[in-house]
Amino acid sequence: MRSNNTFHSEVLQPFFFASEKYADSNAFCINEVFYSYKQLGETISAIRASVKELRADNINVGLVANDDLETYAAIIALWLEGKCYVPVNPETPAERNRNVLTQAAASVVIDSSDEVLFPELNVIRSKELVFTKLDLEPVQVEDDALAYIFFTSGTTGVPKGVPISRTNLAGFIKAFFELGITMDPSDKCLQMFELTFDLSVMSYLAPLLRGACVYTIPKNKIKFNYIADLLEQHNLTVALMVPSIIHYLRPYFDEIDCASMKFSLFCGEALPLDVTSEWAACVPNAKIMNVYGPTEDTIFCTHYTYSRAGENKASNGLMSIGKAMNGTFTIIINDKKEMVNAGEKGELCLGGVQLTPGYWMNDEKNKEAFFYTNYKGESTRFYKTGDLCLADEEGDIMYLGRIDSQIKVQGFRVELSEIEFFAKEFLNKVNAVAIAFTNKLHNTEIGMVIESTDFDTKPLLEYMKTKMPGYMIPTQMRFINSFPLNTNGKIDRKVLKEKF
Amino acid sequence: MEKEEIVNKLTPVFRKVFADNSLVITEELSALDVENWDSLSHMLLIAEVENEFAIKFKLKDLNKMANVGDMIAIISSKL
Repeated sequence: MRSNNTFHSEVLQPFFFASEKYADSNAFCINEVFYSYKQLGETISAIRASVKELRADNINVGLVANDDLETYAAIIALWLEGKCYVPVNPETPAERNRNVLTQAAASVVIDSSDEVLFPELNVIRSKELVFTKLDLEPVQVEDDALAYIFFTSGTTGVPKGVPISRTNLAGFIKAFFELGITMDPSDKCLQMFELTFDLSVMSYLAPLLRGACVYTIPKNKIKFNYIADLLEQHNLTVALMVPSIIHYLRPYFDEIDCASMKFSLFCGEALPLDVTSEWAACVPNAKIMNVYGPTEDTIFCTHYTYSRAGENKASNGLMSIGKAMNGTFTIIINDKKEMVNAGEKGELCLGGVQLTPGYWMNDEKNKEAFFYTNYKGESTRFYKTGDLCLADEEGDIMYLGRIDSQIKVQGFRVELSEIEFFAKEFLNKVNAVAIAFTNKLHNTEIGMVIESTDFDTKPLLEYMKTKMPGYMIPTQMRFINSFPLNTNGKIDRKVLKEKF
Repeated sequence: MEKEEIVNKLTPVFRKVFADNSLVITEELSALDVENWDSLSHMLLIAEVENEFAIKFKLKDLNKMANVGDMIAIISSKL
């Protein structure tokens, strides 16, 4: 997919202009400290000098995802040199992070931590670098080079890499601004996501291309509290959030009045219409949008705007995910891979400029998840999302549920089978089932049912914590003598769900 | 209610929410010190504390709460 270098024109050039023109404006607010575009530019330049010294074959570079200026600056520094970042969260078990870095063949890691996390690798300690000369002019790099690789939960205990090319990311940025979302140096934009989660990319990158300020969440803070505080103290104007945040804030909606908010976007989980309508009163001047998309199709790729006055389309109380953004194609297929008619259910498939070149070194998964079909007279590559959807006569897509056992916890993709894999590995022949259930706060929690009499589950939980990130660890444990089976002879998960 | 009395009432609540029967409550204790103290358990904790003392926190109260000492101060202001 070679075009006339859109990453240069959509991303690198706009950042270069913004950092020059708005040098004294704030680029970041991190833990109550402001950093100007000038400071950001200097930090990028210092890191870039070290990146320049890397061998040409060090293409994928690991990045320890801390909440500081150096970590964000490293991303831009890598892109300016045509390299790709592979983020690892320092709170994730080291074994999993090492697996990710090994898979990506990242032998160099940029780390701003006081104590380096991967001493066995070649480490660029970004906090110790000294700025000498401003150096933000991009080098010309082919658009099919990668911008980042994010790893998500795989079904067999091995994280699955999703590489996103510079073309993909440029396509997203172009389509994002074509949604009518405007930003300028007066804007204050929320960045609530861990850098291993691709919604972070929109949250930090879009503002930096327009001279706006990015507000991050310190890692040791309770997220929804800190967000509520930012809304009130700093009058944020743009926020992309996961719906679980407004579920948490819902009991306090009457205390929230954020008139400054211009664009309030939701992504990562299904968005209930009722809570959205109540939220609308908290952000009376905002355009509220439900956006949708898997990591494979670069951040998000469909959009639906909430109507304050009129009817809103929903299915089972969940707001429509709307229509494709510019450059994206959506189709809904049956199990014979034939497109279905309006109003008929099927699997949502995505194609177009934002679509990943394919899973990282994983031919088997690629054969399963990607296929070519005739779309408007051309053979076009599509990705099967695993999301059960239907489109109405006007083309608005309704999300109906998953066709497999993947779930979302606070926006993170979780394969229940991966949790079961590690539980069974520890339990040794005792069967265990992971169940997603909705708690009192309307958020998704993970429960585990073990086919056994009671025992102390602490050692099991400790084991799982060495294998998986925190959001994948079950919060509730139950025991049952034998699993109920459904008419197909499979474990009846619906019955087990009632235990939570 | 005396500070000590509040701590005594808070202890079983904390131990239940964080599933840790040896958890000791101090004024300095915060989310940094307790492994499972995240957004989800924080909300559950808040709900349990509200029940225990029959009070209702404001969002502003929650935003100010950086450690258990803050929580005790806010609780005692509401009793």
